Amino acid sequence: MRRPLRIALPKGRMMDEGLLLFERIGSIIDPVARDSRRLILPSADGRFEFLPVKSGDVPVYVEAGVADAGVAGSDVLDEREPDVLRPLDLGFGGCALAVAAPRDAPYPYLSGGGMPRVATKYVESARRFFAGKGMQVELIHISGSVELAPLLGLAHWIVDLVQTGRTLADNGLVVVDQVSRSSARLIVNRASHKLRLEEHQRLIADLAGAVEGSA
Amino acid sequence: MPTTRLAQVPPGSQDLLAADVRRRRRVQRVWFDLAEAAEYSEVIPPTFEYEEVFTRAGTKLASELIRFVDRDGRLVALRADFTSAIARMAATRLRDAAPPLRLSYAGKVYRQRPEGGGHPRETFQLGAELLGSAGPEADVEVLRMVIALLRALEIGDFQINLGDIRFVRPLLAGLQPDEAEALRTAIDRKDRAALAEGARRYGAPAAVARALVELPELIGRGEVLLRARSLASGSDAEAAIERLRAIDALLAPDERSHVVYDLGEIRGLGYYTGIQFEVFVGGAGRAVAFGGRYDDLLALYGMDRPAVGFAMETDALAELLGDAP
Repeated sequence: MRRPLRIALPKGRMMDEGLLLFERIGSIIDPVARDSRRLILPSADGRFEFLPVKSGDVPVYVEAGVADAGVAGSDVLDEREPDVLRPLDLGFGGCALAVAAPRDAPYPYLSGGGMPRVATKYVESARRFFAGKGMQVELIHISGSVELAPLLGLAHWIVDLVQTGRTLADNGLVVVDQVSRSSARLIVNRASHKLRLEEHQRLIADLAGAVEGSA
Repeated sequence: MPTTRLAQVPPGSQDLLAADVRRRRRVQRVWFDLAEAAEYSEVIPPTFEYEEVFTRAGTKLASELIRFVDRDGRLVALRADFTSAIARMAATRLRDAAPPLRLSYAGKVYRQRPEGGGHPRETFQLGAELLGSAGPEADVEVLRMVIALLRALEIGDFQINLGDIRFVRPLLAGLQPDEAEALRTAIDRKDRAALAEGARRYGAPAAVARALVELPELIGRGEVLLRARSLASGSDAEAAIERLRAIDALLAPDERSHVVYDLGEIRGLGYYTGIQFEVFVGGAGRAVAFGGRYDDLLALYGMDRPAVGFAMETDALAELLGDAP
């Protein structure tokens, strides 16, 4: 008997929403395991094993095949470009990757023609976006509290995820351009999809039905 | 005490110690025994050549080359692909040899890969090319080499996913380059919603739209070929199905049991013109072998001749072997 399909889930709110979707197709985390400190959580129906990891790491586990499938934001996928299948938009976790600047700050050109500095966690996505617009910028890779960068003079603009815009507004920033829309996707390891085709087809169909039902 | 700098090798390169080497040599020995018995002669292309050998076909290899400038200022690249090098060799040095030509090889390929993904930049491959035969018998001969090698290595749990690029290509015909690229991405990701959306946005005819949306599901045993035939649009797609049916008929039952028809797969290197396949083994997270027909590749080097071949990831096979002597 092969082990259940192993599903990597991004810790935090997306994991809760992901688990709700799995609950709708009849798979909940085994309550005994949930209360333990186990790192791999089996579902009560024995169909899946859930693997909670940091959101940016989901594609790494799935691409290498140590997880058969996973849930990842399209922002993460666009940034890391993992070699995986992306069969389904799960419909939750919606947000936008956007360029933000201090209110009244110049965009898309600095006065005087200087080279804009842009702070972001999403260096690859930002690079592609600005290159596509023919804009020359200097990207600064930082890993948190990106909104601080313009306040402190580290950068002129930022590229970051925007859900409600509250955090931006609190820091005196406004969205000046949109890079992409993001939502949670089901991703699947290519080799696992081939070798366990029927299980994956059933998972995709079940989740598609659950997404449809919740829309 | 070595300096810390000397204790490192560049990311993506590696030292192979005795046990690693033993397993790789075992795979290669088994391979060359088989290849020689099937009258495939070993060739060794150079470790580096002019970069255009690998860029001529316009595949993604061009972005993965490890290049440097030669003494005379010309760009050279480390061998990124045996098939391209052997196609060049066959179309030039071996142009007077009577077809069909059966060539085998084993050695390293070098490709530029992003850091941090755990991807090696140098890997061992082995494989074979059958040049000058266009028929399904040649396709089957190559598939049999793959099956024979895996059996000889006592890897029983493997699956060959076999498709034909001529089934997919007509579905993208007549589109703007960016539209075709968007659909190709959706096909590659098996994203049905994006396929349906793309077909609608680009005004695809109903038959093409139906085939596009079905592509991710066109995987299975022989019955899939029947389903695919009802979706085939045009003579190329029909020829693809006919070729796969001919191959199916030529395979013995214990060979056919390893084959899964997979019409929606477009991952092969861009130079494939007909059948293409990937081989998957339980326990390996990536394909361990790939191959296909590349009837137009030799013409790029000056000699028009059909060809079919495969390459196997020696390192992945060696990992699967464990420590058997």
